[in-house]
Amino acid sequence: MKLREHEAKNVIKAAGIPVPAGILIRSPDELTPHIAELGDAFVLKAQVDVGGRGKAGGILMADKATGMKVAKELFARQIKGLPVKEILAEQKLDIQHEYYLSITVDRSSKQPLILFTEAGGVEIEVTAKEHPELIRKAVANPLMKELPPFLIRELVGTAPKEIGPVINKLYKTFIEKDALLAEINPLVSTPQGIFAADAKIIVDDNALGRQGITVNRDLTDREREAEKHGFSYVELDGKIGVIGNGAGLTMATLDLIEYYGGKAANFLDVGGGAESERVMNAVRLVASVPTVKVIVVNLLGGITKCDEVAKGIIAAGISQKVIVRLAGTNEAEGRRLLSEKGYEMLDTMDLVVKKAVEVTA
Amino acid sequence: MIYGDRKTGVLVQGATGKQGEFHIGLMNAYAKQVGGRGVVAGVTPGKGGQQVHGVPVYNTVKDAMKEHDIGAAVIFVPAGAAADAIMEEANAGIETIVCITEHIPVQDTMRALAYAKMEGASVIGPNCPGLLSPGEVKMGIMPAALFKTGNVGVISRSGTLTYEVVDELTRAGIGQSTVVGIGGDPVIGQTFVDVLARFEKDPQTKAVVLIGEVGGNLEEEGAKSTNLPIVSYIAGVSAPPDKRMGHAGAIVEGGEGDARSKIARLKKHGVPVASRVSEIPEMVRELFRCGC
Repeated sequence: MKLREHEAKNVIKAAGIPVPAGILIRSPDELTPHIAELGDAFVLKAQVDVGGRGKAGGILMADKATGMKVAKELFARQIKGLPVKEILAEQKLDIQHEYYLSITVDRSSKQPLILFTEAGGVEIEVTAKEHPELIRKAVANPLMKELPPFLIRELVGTAPKEIGPVINKLYKTFIEKDALLAEINPLVSTPQGIFAADAKIIVDDNALGRQGITVNRDLTDREREAEKHGFSYVELDGKIGVIGNGAGLTMATLDLIEYYGGKAANFLDVGGGAESERVMNAVRLVASVPTVKVIVVNLLGGITKCDEVAKGIIAAGISQKVIVRLAGTNEAEGRRLLSEKGYEMLDTMDLVVKKAVEVTA
Repeated sequence: MIYGDRKTGVLVQGATGKQGEFHIGLMNAYAKQVGGRGVVAGVTPGKGGQQVHGVPVYNTVKDAMKEHDIGAAVIFVPAGAAADAIMEEANAGIETIVCITEHIPVQDTMRALAYAKMEGASVIGPNCPGLLSPGEVKMGIMPAALFKTGNVGVISRSGTLTYEVVDELTRAGIGQSTVVGIGGDPVIGQTFVDVLARFEKDPQTKAVVLIGEVGGNLEEEGAKSTNLPIVSYIAGVSAPPDKRMGHAGAIVEGGEGDARSKIARLKKHGVPVASRVSEIPEMVRELFRCGC
């Protein structure tokens, strides 16, 4: 789950990384008592869970005289369709130079990867493409709690020495907060020293519990409902509902729908060992989306028992057509139960998908 | 076979849990069928002295190692305890560790893998179905009835999609040497490169089916690393764009990772890529026909 800017800044501030003076306001009135501490000029930044908010009008400049008016204007805006409920009001920095710093998980080396460049101020993707030699990289041994000093010296190079401790503190934050990404972009130098002008932290969804995060904000209501049942669920914009077991098989089913010229409305992965009640909940959840005209169930029994699946489909009792492909453990019994109730069962995933595409064409 | 055979004694960590108990039963039923040793010991802290399907349970891996000749371990413990289980087994000297457990925080996985590497152990997974060498050994949860002995190796990031491919191969009369599910997490132990290196040394394996997914570029790294003939399938062509890992993800993977560009790179490297799972058997036959 992605932390909001003010949350990420509180996290790195607690770790000892300097951030600009700022306050979080939920209405324009809350700005008044703090206007003095923000200095003559300040920045108002909408705290919305969406990327590219600057270009979408979510960041405005203000000063003592215009502060209230600009805050009112920003609260009235929608940023990429999202209402502005919180604004971070922040001291405007006197920026001399911009740097880029991030720590992420590197699949290839299976270690945290630290990226630093002195060539900040432009889109980092552009630098990566056109001048990869300007980006310094280092991987960290995950068994060490801190970065060794030589690694920090290599990363910092000719940049100001004060950046060294920032890198080490961000690394410790990355480890302690179970982050998949910890990014400061830009990290800036000012006459008053080094500051993190922006911060982004993504917390591992598998570690939310031990990080004390109870609600995953990145999910929609229906996705959250699905998560409660232990399903992974994604909404799309076609007419075919898809239920599978295992992410790979479910994805392959979606690909096959596209191959035959159809479009999926959503997909739900019931996971392994699905009992009848879980399957019933899965079918009902997928069927609850109004655009779903037909549901493809494609289950291959590993841990999953086909008779349990059949019972779940029957118990769901939904109005849409269900086309089923079942194979694996207790397959014969599953088939018998379904055919008794008149459900359509086909032998391969190609056949069920083709049929569903025909029905919705 | 790779990673183990009929003579390999297997330990199950998390033996007394629901999944552990269920799969000890299935693994030993398979061992009985092929005349293998199968699961010889279980471990659950605090449950030492119990038995599961006649298999003795110990408190620690080292206790089990004193009594049995063990070459591999399969982990069924909950996510919070799985990294510790990997490290305990690696430290006790077990060579092959299969971690079935899913939802392990990635920081835990990185630490456990770094530790296991230091101890010289090979970790398969986490979040994987394990491996099966038909006629020899099953370590994990793959449904054995779908498999047939032969000379095609299968490596996959998926679980059930692997069974689907194996089912298609077997129905077409194409048997398998070893099928390895390497796991669906961003950070995994044995990658395509590692498993392909084992297949190259395995006289039984003549060709490999490589089943990948969106994300990362480990499929391409694998394809480049081997001289074995390969057929590939990549799931996720129609998948909605993944939640980007901020700027850093885009840099690390250099814009790689989506299914279409992955398929394009594999094809550029001369690897035939199936657009449907059901096309795989015919493409494997074609590999054997042209002898390439």
